[in-house]
Amino acid sequence: MTRKYEAVYVFDSTLEDGAINDKLGRLHGLLGTPGDLEVNHWGRRQLAYPIGRSESGYYAVARFSAEAGALPEYERAIKLDDGIIRHLITLYENELGAPPMSEEELAAANRRREQDDDEDEE
Amino acid sequence: MRRPQKTCPFCETRVRFIDYKDDRTLGRFITDHGKILPSRLSGVCARHQRQLSTAIKRARYLAIIPYIRGMQA
Repeated sequence: MTRKYEAVYVFDSTLEDGAINDKLGRLHGLLGTPGDLEVNHWGRRQLAYPIGRSESGYYAVARFSAEAGALPEYERAIKLDDGIIRHLITLYENELGAPPMSEEELAAANRRREQDDDEDEE
Repeated sequence: MRRPQKTCPFCETRVRFIDYKDDRTLGRFITDHGKILPSRLSGVCARHQRQLSTAIKRARYLAIIPYIRGMQA
């Protein structure tokens, strides 16, 4: 069964951009180069806490559909890669889940908000 | 006397899924030390609080937000 996943990679920030793109290409090749692959590069940013010797990392977020069977090999390749200091693969199935709020629910929410006028939160 | 019911900030903006990559939003729901803010203080509804706690834990793992802050020895 094909499911949609989202993977966040934190690369060592000392890697060249070209090397990072090579690694991403190789990893996504293990998934059989999914058609709906979408990679979003955040670039280098400060880590919230040091990981090993790194103070900053290169973040990249990928979304793709894949067969569940292809994932273990892909994740193994990520774990073996010394250039990746952290990674997280999550299900990205935002289209599933609860239906949007109906008109009644929305009206009820608005009523609650109006009653709540002494709220001074942003 | 009962305090007025706070409304959930996620329901108000009709957020369906809390994004663990959005450090600015998550940052509003952690304390100065980096703990998850209880829904009692933030007014987040139970469903969103569950999503929020997962999102904060994922963001911590990815070093997007810190596990602890302001506790230097």
